[in-house]
Amino acid sequence: MPLLTVNNLRTYFHTRNGVVRAADDVSFEIEQGETLGIVGESGSGKSVTCYSLMGLVPQPPGKIESGSAIFDGKTDLLKCSMNELNHIRGKRIAMVFQDPMTSLNPYMRIEDQLIEPLLIHGICGRAEAVKRGLHALEEVGVPDAAKRIRSYPHEFSGGMRQRVMIAMALITKPELLIADEPTTAVDVTVQAQILELIKKMQNELGMAVIWVTHDLGVVAGFCRRTLVMYAGRIVESAPTEQLFHRTKHPYTRALQQSIPALQPKGTELYTIPGAPPDLSKRIDGCAFAPRCEFAREKCGKPPIELKTVEPGHATACVRVQSNEISL
Amino acid sequence: MQDTLANQAPNDIQFSEAEVGTSLWRDAWHRLQKNKMAVASAVIIAALSLVSAFAPWIAPYSYEEQNLELRAVSPRPGHWLGTDALGRDQLTRLLYGGRVSLMVGIVATGVALLIGVTYGAVSGFFGGKTDIVMMRTVDIIYALPFTIFVILLMVFFGRDIRLLFVAIGAVEWLTMARIVRGQVQSLKKQEFIEAARALGLPRWRIIFLHMIPNILGPIIVYATLTVPSVMLLEAFLSFLGLGVQPPMSSWGLMIKDGADRMEECPWLLVAPGVTLAATLFCLNFLGDGLRDALDVRASKD
Repeated sequence: MPLLTVNNLRTYFHTRNGVVRAADDVSFEIEQGETLGIVGESGSGKSVTCYSLMGLVPQPPGKIESGSAIFDGKTDLLKCSMNELNHIRGKRIAMVFQDPMTSLNPYMRIEDQLIEPLLIHGICGRAEAVKRGLHALEEVGVPDAAKRIRSYPHEFSGGMRQRVMIAMALITKPELLIADEPTTAVDVTVQAQILELIKKMQNELGMAVIWVTHDLGVVAGFCRRTLVMYAGRIVESAPTEQLFHRTKHPYTRALQQSIPALQPKGTELYTIPGAPPDLSKRIDGCAFAPRCEFAREKCGKPPIELKTVEPGHATACVRVQSNEISL
Repeated sequence: MQDTLANQAPNDIQFSEAEVGTSLWRDAWHRLQKNKMAVASAVIIAALSLVSAFAPWIAPYSYEEQNLELRAVSPRPGHWLGTDALGRDQLTRLLYGGRVSLMVGIVATGVALLIGVTYGAVSGFFGGKTDIVMMRTVDIIYALPFTIFVILLMVFFGRDIRLLFVAIGAVEWLTMARIVRGQVQSLKKQEFIEAARALGLPRWRIIFLHMIPNILGPIIVYATLTVPSVMLLEAFLSFLGLGVQPPMSSWGLMIKDGADRMEECPWLLVAPGVTLAATLFCLNFLGDGLRDALDVRASKD
């Protein structure tokens, strides 16, 4: 039984300029201990998907129009009460945010923030929590943890703060960690350290990880399965290796071609022409079609659906589905 | 380290060699200490509050004690600030008046703070329809003419000093609620509040433990600036005869008495007038100093 099954999640934002379909018919599942990557460019709906699962979508203007997210076979995260949700988030599902500089409360000591989940969820008493907090801080590699645990966030660097965030997320030993671009705001050397750290913690705790990123390199080295999102929809879903070697969607291919490291030196870097579509407008057919070099007339017409073309490998490209092109 | 930790009772945990971090509060405190005007103001206010609080022990006479031989005399030994028309010692009445004025200032501000912060935070945090209903209610109360409101209160409930607290408190919390609501609304979108929600913290805990400490800066500043405006209101009401009733004294009442006899006995106006003005000045200076200390961006340096 999968740990989390998301079916037809639709999160729309009702704004003055119309309805923005930020996540449109997103379905996926994640097994216990699995690592799932979600990639896509800014505004493709990766974060909104995660926020929806955690009940963090501001409502209004956001609204979860339909769908379900069954956690552990029992609780529907999208429909359960605030109380039920509070028993799960922070305890069994934890989240690490993008920007470590703003994710910690500036007026609270690191220690107090770190052990708050333990106290809130009644996992242990204060004395034990303080002990575990210190241990967690040492685990994530904060030097001099015992000395620095009583500091305030502004006395920590960005990388250290992200470590604190990770320690905080993992202190309750969650079954699922949602990492929303945790390496985007830190510099490259710290990125690698954070990545290693989460890998290590995953091995120790056996938790599942949803890794949201726009960095294909991170996905390649870390995730077993990967979803590619574009304009609020999943366009391709495959085991990571297959995604790279037997790409089934032009968008995924274009993303790969835009990675500098994969190109011969001296050649001009490939860029995808055009810009992502305006999600507040109705999109008939494939959202990527206007930027796609393979687009034909039929790409502009519905239905565009995610279809499995190989075991475990699904694509939303109608031309690939009908074997007209191979990438 | 861990062993020692485990053996200690929860409240006794001390990190002997640990550096205890400097909080943003302490930073602000250091900045405030560098502001000489603010520090001087704080000292003057503290001194005034102390002598007023201990008026019954310090004052040379009782506030209603009359000396009919010495009516409306100018300052002289024994009556350092002179006496009023009824032969009561002006200094004594000033001290007792300070008691009332400062008390009104502090209590009414406290009431305003309590109601305003809670109301504003709840309104801002929940947003949506709750927010609309709560804030429109504030707008309606805001629109009530204050003087008429107080006169009505006095007419219906009699002249009671406690009503003064109620009346002033009922008006002053509105602005506080608006300020807090705005702050909470902008804070709500901050990532650490989202993080707190993602940790499964209950809403009341997020509001009172995570949000309010973050907006204490503006709250403190506004509270410091509310005290003088409340004191002024009290003086204004007493001046109109709606506030503190004789023989009890208050600065507003004394200014009124003084103003009535401004030409023959100017000292009756000067003493309470200067005291009130100085107090208001000091409170405003302190408020400004606090704002500069707490909000680094807004201050000049």
